[in-house]
Amino acid sequence: MLKLVKVEAGSPLPVRRPSRLLRLLARPEVGPLILLVLELSAFGTIRPLYLSPFNISNVLDFTVELGLIALPTTLLMIAGEFDLSVGSVFGFSAVLMWTLFNSGATSLGLAFVITLAVAGGIGLINGWFVTQVKVSSFLVTLGTLLVVRGAALYLTQGFPQRTWSAAGSRLAAVLAGEIHIGRFHIYMSLFWFIAAAIVLHYVLAETKTGNWIQAAGGNPSSALARGVNVGRTKMVLFVLTAMMAAASGIISSIRTSAANPNSGTGYELEVIAMVVIGGTALTGGRGTIIGTVLGIFILRSMHSGLVMIGVPGLAYEIFVGAIILAMVALQAWLDRRQQAEG
Amino acid sequence: MAEELVRMEHISKFYGRVQALRDITVGVRYQEIVGLLGDNGAGKSTLIKILSGVVQATSGEIFLHGRKADIRTTTDAIACGIETIYQDSALVPQLSITRNLFLGREPIKGFRLFNRMDHALMDQAARALLLQVGVIKDIPPATAISALSGGERQAVAIARALYFDSELIILDEPTNNLGVAETRSVLNFVRNARDTGHSCILIAHNIHHVFQVVDRIVVLRHGTVVADDVDPRKTSIEEVERIITGPDAAEPAESSRGTNRGLE
Ligand SMILES: Nc1ncnc2c1ncn2[C@@H]1O[C@H](COP(=O)(O)OP(=O)(O)OP(=O)(O)O)[C@@H](O)[C@H]1O
Ligand SMILES: [Mg+2]
Repeated sequence: MLKLVKVEAGSPLPVRRPSRLLRLLARPEVGPLILLVLELSAFGTIRPLYLSPFNISNVLDFTVELGLIALPTTLLMIAGEFDLSVGSVFGFSAVLMWTLFNSGATSLGLAFVITLAVAGGIGLINGWFVTQVKVSSFLVTLGTLLVVRGAALYLTQGFPQRTWSAAGSRLAAVLAGEIHIGRFHIYMSLFWFIAAAIVLHYVLAETKTGNWIQAAGGNPSSALARGVNVGRTKMVLFVLTAMMAAASGIISSIRTSAANPNSGTGYELEVIAMVVIGGTALTGGRGTIIGTVLGIFILRSMHSGLVMIGVPGLAYEIFVGAIILAMVALQAWLDRRQQAEG
Repeated sequence: MAEELVRMEHISKFYGRVQALRDITVGVRYQEIVGLLGDNGAGKSTLIKILSGVVQATSGEIFLHGRKADIRTTTDAIACGIETIYQDSALVPQLSITRNLFLGREPIKGFRLFNRMDHALMDQAARALLLQVGVIKDIPPATAISALSGGERQAVAIARALYFDSELIILDEPTNNLGVAETRSVLNFVRNARDTGHSCILIAHNIHHVFQVVDRIVVLRHGTVVADDVDPRKTSIEEVERIITGPDAAEPAESSRGTNRGLE
């Protein structure tokens, strides 16, 4: 994240400042924040029920699951790479875990660990092809998208897996247990999402690793020349993204009591849309976790809002596309303004 | 103590079947600015890339303070006190001046596992450095590099080399695309660096720039050293130009061999 650090008054530096408003606007999170507020108030005005605890709870359920994928994807995209295989990993992981468990081969806990390890392996393969064989991540993960989806279909012969046997399991409760707070019903996954957002924000903004992630995407050759291990940084992010996509798929399968080998199809694009709407540069080098959190909520609350005001769900993508275009145009405009002032 | 800070002996480099360097032996003394000249494709960048760990020599040895040094990666070179400043790729445009200054050597604060950068220390040092290098003193250290001019960027890169107290600062065409004032300040930094105890290797196509600051000129042609002790105070620019381009009627043998001429 490019923090506009304050320089205290009386510091030895006469500071060349862009106008206060422009500096505020230049924060990558501001555009998405305004959009989210507008969206919530518009839908809330048209349909007051939109902001009811019931609807908010409903929206949150799936939002945080996609969010668990979008968060690591943000870091990966800042480092200059894509992962198109997350939707396949989402679907594959759930069926793998339940197949292991239902067949009696392992306990649920062990199945969970094995599944995460397999997902980590998929991430390693993605990372290895990108950093060692030096193939564009777009092509590599397009390949794994197909391989992993194919594996899910083959493993299950196309049939959904039973999941209800998990009832009462501690692991299921920790991952996706339901909690009632007042009139809200929420799932444990919300806390996992919040924890992941905090940790990844900290990593990106505060740590050396975060500096390396931004440098790897911003200018790989100069990062390398500074002794930054660009390859390993990307590798770690591919593994993290795949493992979090797997966790998300498992959580979703527990919540919906369904592990379908086809689930997760198309999620990769929605996740990338969330990240981009949140202000992360498609070309890498720049982006924030806060922006992505906003992007996640912008898209999912819009989905729910459109349904509630009676727009057919199928029209959802028209709006997603339009918002992407608008946000990208806004970013480009802000960049130009900033450069003109800077 | 050895008389030279760095010595490269019998360095050869092949890129596949293209020989970029053949049996190069050069040294840089303490507190000396060496100008490295040569036409396009002569091998200047390749030579300094070997020194800064970006590429590895096919054969040959490097000595630092008279002791053999094993430079395999850029990290090795930095650890040996060799800092390289490239025209275009030295900095990450999206990152702030502060973050660029410390990239790869971020100071960590508190519990190491948390990997937390010491922002306070970094900002403080950045501000002090910006004051020290003068031309960019009115720019806050949190400014992104993309908002700086070419000369200001060079200044940041040089400030970084000074801060980490590198013994050898290598500048590959640092004055490309720079205006008159900016060029002058870059050359001033180089002089300044020498006067504060550093050694420098300066590559530039503009011989006038080189003549203004260097103590000694080394000329490469087709991957070999054709002169390694040209004194800019005793030699005319025309003479150096002749050394760079070689004997006018370049023998056919030489030009037909031209596998190591630039692909540019
Ligand atoms: N990565 C590479 N792969 C193959 N050949 C290369 C590579 N880098 C350089 N060369 C070749 O090595 C020779 C020396 O190149 P080098 O970049 O060192 O020249 P230079 O003296 O820096 O030239 P310039 O003044 O144009 O920057 C050239 O013939 C060039 O084509
Ligand atoms: Mg060169």
